[in-house]
Amino acid sequence: MKVVSRDGLAAWLDSLAQQKTLVAPRDVDGVLLYRPVASSAEIVWDYTRPVLSIKEAFFPATERLLVIEKNQQRVELQETLPEGEQVIVGVRPCDARGVKALDTLFIETEPVDTYYARRRANTTLVGLACKEMGETCFCTSVGGAPDDPRDVDVMLAEVEGGYAVQAVTEKGEALLAGLALQDVPGEPPKPVLNEPVPLPETEAWPPHFDDQFWEDMAERCLSCRICAYVCPTCRCFDVRDEALPAHNGHNRYERIRCWDSCTGEVYRRIAGGHNPRADKGQRLRNRFFCKFYYYPQQVGSAACTGCGRCIDSCPVNIDITEVMHHLAEVSR
Amino acid sequence: MTSLNGSNGMAPYLGKLVVVKDMAPEIKLFGVELLNGGNARFADYKPGQFAFVSAFGAGEAPFGIASSPQRGEVLEFAVQRLGSVTTELHEMGEGDTVGVRGPLGNHFPMDAFKGKDLVVLGGGIGGAPLRPVLQTVLDNRADYGHLTILWAARHPSLLIFRDEYESWRSAPDTELHLTVDEPDAGWEHDVGLSTTLLEKVAPSPKDAIAITCGPPVMIYYADKTFQALGFTPEQSYVTLEARMHCGIGKCGRCNLGDKLICMDGPVFSMAEVGNLMESFL
Amino acid sequence: MPYTTQIQDKARELLAGDQVSCVIGYEVGSRGRTRPAFIYDPDDVERLVWNQNCTHNLTTYLQDKLRPDRGQSEEEPRRVAVVVKPCDSRAINVMLAENHFAREQVHVIGVACDGILEGAGFGKATEGVLQARCERCSERTPVVYDTLIGEAPEVETSDEAAFADLADLEAMTPSERAEFWLSQFDRCIRCYACRQVCPMCSCPTCLFERDDSLWVGMRIELNEKRTFHLGRAYHLAGRCVGCDECERVCPMDIPISLLNRKLAKEIEVQFAYRAGEEPVPSPIITILSGEEG
Repeated sequence: MKVVSRDGLAAWLDSLAQQKTLVAPRDVDGVLLYRPVASSAEIVWDYTRPVLSIKEAFFPATERLLVIEKNQQRVELQETLPEGEQVIVGVRPCDARGVKALDTLFIETEPVDTYYARRRANTTLVGLACKEMGETCFCTSVGGAPDDPRDVDVMLAEVEGGYAVQAVTEKGEALLAGLALQDVPGEPPKPVLNEPVPLPETEAWPPHFDDQFWEDMAERCLSCRICAYVCPTCRCFDVRDEALPAHNGHNRYERIRCWDSCTGEVYRRIAGGHNPRADKGQRLRNRFFCKFYYYPQQVGSAACTGCGRCIDSCPVNIDITEVMHHLAEVSR
Repeated sequence: MTSLNGSNGMAPYLGKLVVVKDMAPEIKLFGVELLNGGNARFADYKPGQFAFVSAFGAGEAPFGIASSPQRGEVLEFAVQRLGSVTTELHEMGEGDTVGVRGPLGNHFPMDAFKGKDLVVLGGGIGGAPLRPVLQTVLDNRADYGHLTILWAARHPSLLIFRDEYESWRSAPDTELHLTVDEPDAGWEHDVGLSTTLLEKVAPSPKDAIAITCGPPVMIYYADKTFQALGFTPEQSYVTLEARMHCGIGKCGRCNLGDKLICMDGPVFSMAEVGNLMESFL
Repeated sequence: MPYTTQIQDKARELLAGDQVSCVIGYEVGSRGRTRPAFIYDPDDVERLVWNQNCTHNLTTYLQDKLRPDRGQSEEEPRRVAVVVKPCDSRAINVMLAENHFAREQVHVIGVACDGILEGAGFGKATEGVLQARCERCSERTPVVYDTLIGEAPEVETSDEAAFADLADLEAMTPSERAEFWLSQFDRCIRCYACRQVCPMCSCPTCLFERDDSLWVGMRIELNEKRTFHLGRAYHLAGRCVGCDECERVCPMDIPISLLNRKLAKEIEVQFAYRAGEEPVPSPIITILSGEEG
């Protein structure tokens, strides 16, 4: 394996931070988040996973789509595309898998989402293999692995004295140019795995659409948006025009899109007031079906990467693995 | 710089309001003349397709295109004032600039309808996306069979496209029936639900196609009535409404089960709707 | 008799006797985590538990359960039972004062609580370490109940101790305090969990989540987040009962309860009023009675 020492890695990351935006897990007032760092010294290396996924880097919580300038009857539109290269370091395989799932929708399904695609092209992913799965992790049950290098450009794995470095893509190779690596015999240690969770067949879901299970589970649901927002693959958004300060006497607005969640009560309410998902059970069912049935049907890839964030963060113990166990049970 | 070459799915074309007409209390008809190359994009839209209309400053919302390209380049939309975007639109006048994104969605299979009798049932503002179907039939009269139009509203003042009823009625092989929930003095036509009218008119299902649009509850009961009249699910078409924010299959909001109303619809046969996992009700 | 058994027995009695349609309590869920439970059948009462992970304020489910506009026929108003801790019980008084439901509609199973563990609800409980709100708690007996489970231990808490952690905040200069709060709000993702978990937040359309951005925009950015948090704190002033669930549920560890308690302290100092001790409205709410213009 090719290995870099801790110091060598730190020096390389410091120089990267000078050239591009370097994003890595950082302690923000006691909360671990992927955030821009000015130097490698700010990076946290010992963690299960940050509270939020890296989807923010491609699909920000608030994104400007257009700037609109109105002068009486004249309107001018300005498309505002994201600029700037970024390198995200410390990406867990489950988060990288999440980006791949979003790629399937935003890039590989027509029409291409211009904004997502631009950020994606401008980003290099440096993954960090997990030495062990977290208590709520289940990536191996949904086709992933704690050391899966498939979806990153460079894969790091902690070894004695430093990190094993693997270039996965051409982009990754290009990023690694100039980083001195040592040839060391051996392989990175295999990660410690959890008990697998049964993954129901995709076709197992439709027959259970009308089960009482959904309503029962949803009774305690708060209809907040935590699960959707911490999830690496949830991508529902809202679009609206909002005012900007006037300029030269002209009214200015920005058309923005922001994160939204199907768990919200008014999410699906149509003009006139009709709401086909007025009940919590209908909404929660939609979220799980979207993950395991709709998204695969619509764009061809699964929308759960087994990261376990929703399990960690749900205040009322709505547990996606409990749903999977139940579906597997009733479809036996 | 603007990007109106269609490469950005979220960037609208600009359009000038050339028609702003009151059709009913809180309902206006807007005619939009596209600018900056939008005409090429909209040269060949089909009945049933929709577009996002921007009231810049408030946002954009999806509306069924209420006109047919055979009748000219002006895109028409019937808009009921219900929320922030439609309120902003209603404040606008001729000469003002809007945005238009589209044409989006699938369409009524007008070619497959050729030679058949058509029964078109429009409830309230739901009649708007059906008007291009009527226009296409009337403009290509020989291609289609008998046309039965059932048009309903809560009150006579809420009936839309009233100034066109004469031209519909007087077209060859065409009949028009009107009904309202609540008549006014001088109302000479039927009173009652659209389904009651449908039962009374009792169109034959032989070689016929039913097309319905209106509030979800109305679509539901109209379908039951069509079934009772002998229409198969394959013979019945609807156009469904959903809350949308992108219209291009990204924002995730408009799904009914695994179908996206914006991409797989908004036009569905009842055979498809019946197989939808999730009810639109 | 252990509290769990007492709660189960009471639930069985109420359900079998048709006195309530549902008992809202706690059960142990997946991964050994305690979570809210809704029991409808007397045969299911064995699911109910009481333990030191019973952190949730179950009164937040009451309005939905008891609200008459759920499209069901209402020959008789609905009646449910709910298991509450002393802090939770104060929320019932606030909801009664605000006329969300009638007293007869709730059978309150009040638990004289020993305190809840830090990390409860997320499977991260630390044995022997109580939540901060429990360290501050001055009354271990619910303020309203129909059935009382247990006897509260004597608690000696001075008013000073109850709000001691505000001292750090109050020692800051206004600009330091602004910097502190803005840096906290910056992490907010507008998930609204704090609002959704709160029994007092029950507006059908939240002022901060309107489709037309009338009062605050849709952006998930600092300006909007500041407006949301400060606005919500003002709307809770004189109504917040200090259950601290808002802070527990926040995925970004924002000290939301600190903000609410600061305003609660102001209310107490100015009006000698603490929310929820009696079913009377807060003195800072103006009430238009029928006779007034």
